[in-house]
Amino acid sequence: MMDTNALIALLTSFADDELILGHRNSEWTGHAPIIEEDIAFSNIAQDEMGHALLWYTVLNEQLGQPLPDRMAFFRSADQFRNAQFVELPKGDWAITIVRQYLFDAYEQVRNAELIHNDFQPMVEVVSKIKREEVYHLMHSKGWLLRLGDATIESHVRMQTALDQLWPHALGLFEPIQEDTEYSNKLRDLRQTWLDTVSPILQQATLIIPPNVEPVFGGRNRQHTLHLIDLLKDMQKVARMESPETVW
Amino acid sequence: MTDTQWQTFEVFHQGKRGEPHIHVGAVHATDPEMALLLARDQFARRLDCVNLWVVPSDQIFATNYEDAEALFEPATDKSYREASGFPLRDAIKKAENWKEE
Repeated sequence: MMDTNALIALLTSFADDELILGHRNSEWTGHAPIIEEDIAFSNIAQDEMGHALLWYTVLNEQLGQPLPDRMAFFRSADQFRNAQFVELPKGDWAITIVRQYLFDAYEQVRNAELIHNDFQPMVEVVSKIKREEVYHLMHSKGWLLRLGDATIESHVRMQTALDQLWPHALGLFEPIQEDTEYSNKLRDLRQTWLDTVSPILQQATLIIPPNVEPVFGGRNRQHTLHLIDLLKDMQKVARMESPETVW
Repeated sequence: MTDTQWQTFEVFHQGKRGEPHIHVGAVHATDPEMALLLARDQFARRLDCVNLWVVPSDQIFATNYEDAEALFEPATDKSYREASGFPLRDAIKKAENWKEE
């Protein structure tokens, strides 16, 4: 069994990834390229919020952390453990799709590892979310493969997005200082992830930028200004209300 | 101006195995696989669903509404061809009354 502080840090990183990416994706609501995708992508954003809630609930009920709403709306940027990858602005549709695909593939690889963990509440969350993650991956992979080689413009945008995002995507595999057990597996997880995404990116005619150093920081609570802006927006309403407000 | 809309696919939804697929609407998509993914979010999230079909809208062949009268409205009284055309209820009533007597 993992050390409690390590578990708290690790589960917080999972929850924060989902919450922050979910919020970024929700920024497309009303703006996605076609109405059908608007609905589909808003749905995916909601799924991610739902997954964040599952992780925050375990943190609260099993590990003595604050209530989910407190975790989401009343922490400052230097208390978040999401990878910087998910806090970057949503950019154009290419940025969004490349990020979503790389993240969905990461979650699939990560979940396959977590399902064997001996902390039972973690295994229960993974069993709940992995079905939806199958669909998320089908969706983002579908868009990635189509846009990668559809037109010159779509190809250039997708390649630009990949070049820009790749160092941050590698940052998903940043070790957490409080933890050694899971961190020791990150090198293998990263390799499995690379083996998963490389052939798909190749099929989409996209080239992985060579010799890239990962951008670390997020897992150890160092963030870009983008997260501060995002939290200002996301937490505004909750912080305006008095604690007695009932919705 | 050229039409930049993607083609549409008609969506058919099946609630349970063995039940008929029922037409529920249409989605814009580049190809059938994308249409199935998008149809899932438009039509299968709030309904029970075990299976979806998508069919390119231009592959649906339909009658003209102008022909509706000629095709579907009977010119003469054909009520005798329908179950409701038979005064069966009266016959049943009569039989019941006869038994009581």
